[in-house]
Amino acid sequence: MSRPKDSRPTTAYQPAQPTTESAATSSIARELVGQLTHEDRDRARDRWRVARARWKGRGWKSFGGLRLLWLLVGPGVLVFLGENDAPSMLSYSATGARFGVGFFIPFVILTFAIGLIVQEMTVRLGAVTHRGHAELIFDRFGKFWGFFSMGDLVLGNFLTLVTEFIGVRAGLGFFGIRPSIAVGAALVLVLGAITTGRYWTWERITLGLAIFNGLFIPAALLAHPDWSQVGHALLTWTPLPRGDRSEILLLILADIGATVTPWMIFFQQSAVVDKGMQPRDIAAGRLDTVLGTLLASTFAIAAILATVPLFHHGINAADFQGAQFAQALEPWIGHVGASLFALGIFEAGIVAAIAISTSSAYAFGEILGTAHSLNRPIREAWPFYLFLLGSACAAAALVLIPHAPLEFIILTVNVIAVLAMPPALAFLLLLVNDHDLMGEHANGFWGNLAGVTVTVLLVCAGLGFGLFTIFPKLLGG
Amino acid sequence: MKKEKTKHHAQGHDPGAAAAHSERPDLQDPNVVLSLLEADQVVAAKTRTRFGKRNLSVGARLLLWGLRVYVFVMLVIVLISVIRALHGGQ
Repeated sequence: MSRPKDSRPTTAYQPAQPTTESAATSSIARELVGQLTHEDRDRARDRWRVARARWKGRGWKSFGGLRLLWLLVGPGVLVFLGENDAPSMLSYSATGARFGVGFFIPFVILTFAIGLIVQEMTVRLGAVTHRGHAELIFDRFGKFWGFFSMGDLVLGNFLTLVTEFIGVRAGLGFFGIRPSIAVGAALVLVLGAITTGRYWTWERITLGLAIFNGLFIPAALLAHPDWSQVGHALLTWTPLPRGDRSEILLLILADIGATVTPWMIFFQQSAVVDKGMQPRDIAAGRLDTVLGTLLASTFAIAAILATVPLFHHGINAADFQGAQFAQALEPWIGHVGASLFALGIFEAGIVAAIAISTSSAYAFGEILGTAHSLNRPIREAWPFYLFLLGSACAAAALVLIPHAPLEFIILTVNVIAVLAMPPALAFLLLLVNDHDLMGEHANGFWGNLAGVTVTVLLVCAGLGFGLFTIFPKLLGG
Repeated sequence: MKKEKTKHHAQGHDPGAAAAHSERPDLQDPNVVLSLLEADQVVAAKTRTRFGKRNLSVGARLLLWGLRVYVFVMLVIVLISVIRALHGGQ
């Protein structure tokens, strides 16, 4: 097999400097003429469509029209709908089944606001530096810190991938589909999405799948929620959850981990780079991220509302897995509602499997200096695609092994995500405040205040969990 | 040096503005491709450059090490918690 392109060159590196200067008028334009790749041409095609939409919609103030928005929407929506993955939707479902309508509904909205603050920074980083997050950490902080952050990402991503395939198996299990067939079908979908050789096509396929996260909305409507109670909860954050305090704390942590995880930072920045976004697209990138937050929080609340009937009927859902929720809900939301719920869990697993394995592959390619773009055909970037598909296959295989410690993984994955966030946020804040990189796009006072507040909040949540785990009697347990 | 870097970040510059007028760009023409991308978006330019290691302040190093210790300790606690949960369920 031919050596993949973009392996480390033998000449010494030149210092890099973020610039909005056109490649055609740069001092190295003549050298670049003979070195263009398939990836450059695909990215140029995407940029031409954006430039044309901007030119045609030039009467509109910031976004050049709906077509421009359509072209630039993608990484933000995908990252948040991808984060509404199988363990996240099951956390929300467990929340609704255990505590009904109350505190957790506005709390979940708050967690998405936290996610928005974090993810907006990745849009700016990617659009200005044109580098992925892993590559920037290695460049600016060195290999020591780079490998540490990669270790967090690889561990977290693999564990999360396993839970996605558990969700896939559980979701299709409701329809009587055997685990091997369910998991195999999921792998075929992952393969189908990545073999297009075009970032744009991959993005649209995955967005098309991700919109089915909305299946939780009809499931919620079939549960006939009390909308006045929902409104009351949104305004007053009550009733507060009652019961076992360690269980409440675990659900709080799981719900936070359902919204903010390290892979989201790596994925969205790399996707922004692969999409070819530039500094003038930052406003649209922010809107894309806000749209993703709104959609995902709506679907998350729908998952909570869909399982409220279990709360009202005193059904103990403490140990429920995906298919069990759907089966338990059937008497109250009907077979159609239960089917929609199960399909939603399947979708949550599939989209997250695609996004998370892609985020790992991006990071792998960035640190090794190999080709790492969905705009590359497989023959040019085979390590990237091999890592992507390999990590998905390894996770899928673990799910099919009899007596594999799946329960252990399910219990830990969202909690580990929360615990791994503070170091990831520290690197993110250091990078986005680096004026040599970001220039006028560096964080201002309010951006830093928000970022530091989020980091402190997550550290406190983790410390609270640790304290009450070691001293359970503090919770009255 | 800092002024030059600030200039390079100026918004409003659109590398693709000229190409936007054409119905179908000739992407086999390297000059058209280069006109649509920023200088550091081209793969060959990116692979030859690195931003370079920054000097971390003492405070930043302490922060990163502190958070690293925090993660390690918390992972041990998570392990304890899960073992308790699994044994409690048996």
